[in-house]
Amino acid sequence: MSEAQVLQIQDSSIGVQDYQKEDFASDQTPRWCPGCGDYSILAQLQRVMPQICADTNTPKENMVFISGIGCSSRFPYYMNTYGFHSIHGRAPTLALGLQVSRPELMTWVITGDGDSLSIGGNHLMHCLRRNLNVKILLFNNRIYGLTKGQYSPTSELGKRTKSSPLGSVARPLNPISIALASQATFVARAIDRDPKLLQEVLLQAAQHKGSAIVEIYQNCNIFNDGAFADFAEKKVRAEQTVKLQHGQPLVFGKQKDKAVVFDKNLQPQVVNLADIDETDILKHDAHSHNPALSYALSQLDYPEFPVPVGVFRAVEAPTYEQRVHQQVVDAKAQQPNADLQQLLEAGDTWTVSE
Amino acid sequence: MTYVVTQNCIKCKQMDCVEVCPVDAFHEGPNMLVINPGECIDCTVCVPACPETAIFRDGDVPADQQHFVALNEEMADIWELIDEKGDVPADAAEWSGKTDKFQYFQR
Repeated sequence: MSEAQVLQIQDSSIGVQDYQKEDFASDQTPRWCPGCGDYSILAQLQRVMPQICADTNTPKENMVFISGIGCSSRFPYYMNTYGFHSIHGRAPTLALGLQVSRPELMTWVITGDGDSLSIGGNHLMHCLRRNLNVKILLFNNRIYGLTKGQYSPTSELGKRTKSSPLGSVARPLNPISIALASQATFVARAIDRDPKLLQEVLLQAAQHKGSAIVEIYQNCNIFNDGAFADFAEKKVRAEQTVKLQHGQPLVFGKQKDKAVVFDKNLQPQVVNLADIDETDILKHDAHSHNPALSYALSQLDYPEFPVPVGVFRAVEAPTYEQRVHQQVVDAKAQQPNADLQQLLEAGDTWTVSE
Repeated sequence: MTYVVTQNCIKCKQMDCVEVCPVDAFHEGPNMLVINPGECIDCTVCVPACPETAIFRDGDVPADQQHFVALNEEMADIWELIDEKGDVPADAAEWSGKTDKFQYFQR
């Protein structure tokens, strides 16, 4: 049996080319606070869904959104597809069960910085290292929003919140670095305020075969307003962020006059293009199987460096469900006459009479 | 889905909405603003921000102001983007609450 037969993709192309963004809006009015960045993420995803379905030949019935707990996790109610609103931190586990048993589905995991990196840290890590074919959208607002303003695993050191009145004494996790260390095969970052970039990244994540994780900087205007304003707002974005594109130089600035380079000690520096040789300009490599460059880029942060956005890494590798199914196929080929009932009855058995 | 600026904005043009819009969806005309339906993310923050109650969800636009839905889309393509509150018209208070202002609409 060939791999193609094992993972039979349903071909129900009726209507797949004709979806509009309205087809993906459910009848539920979003309950997010007015001004929440989640509205933008929902809007951009609904806008690119028609193209995703057309490009990947995925009908709506094969689309599923699984969330955990948090404001992010309200998401499945607002998408007119199948969905699960599951338990805190465990969306990747449901995704794994679903995706392995139904590999033809397109499964999305919607989670937040609390859901995926506090209680869910373990499941996220294992999902990524298994390379399950799932698209994980991590809404990072650097706070616990739904529970009204406690600090999260991504809140800055010293952050004063309801649960850290004297300032957080823990260094934050960096979701991109965690993802890369967990060997995720597609890692990207977008911003709720930059709809074009977000759409671009979502489209690429949808096309990826394997675990695709997108960290989305999302503004919680009630409990952590302005967390990303210093580099995410339209006015400052060109100077304070660098867009990563495979094969393109790490150049940024409104006038495209600055670059990020790594010196011979592998330490990053910002330089003026005018001051360096063209040959010293580093080009981004998203396809290398060695994640060292991507990891180094993930460590760049405001204010010393421009914040990298876009695709850090995109590599091909067999997916978890491919390996699982292939192993079953191979095992059956080794022992074509395997009989489970026979195995169960192999030892001593007794029949208990009335 | 989008939000729509209707006639209460005309000649009042308070521009409080511009300050709160997270995606810079507003465009400025001579005596009113409009929302670009392509940019609007339905976050609803402009609705309470407007002191003249000029903004409605597209499904909730009053029956007699339905023409503003298409007008917002049309003028957003022509008018300049506005992302900062400018000078409010001197006679804004005079025009506040007046009905039937569409006759004064300027392209």
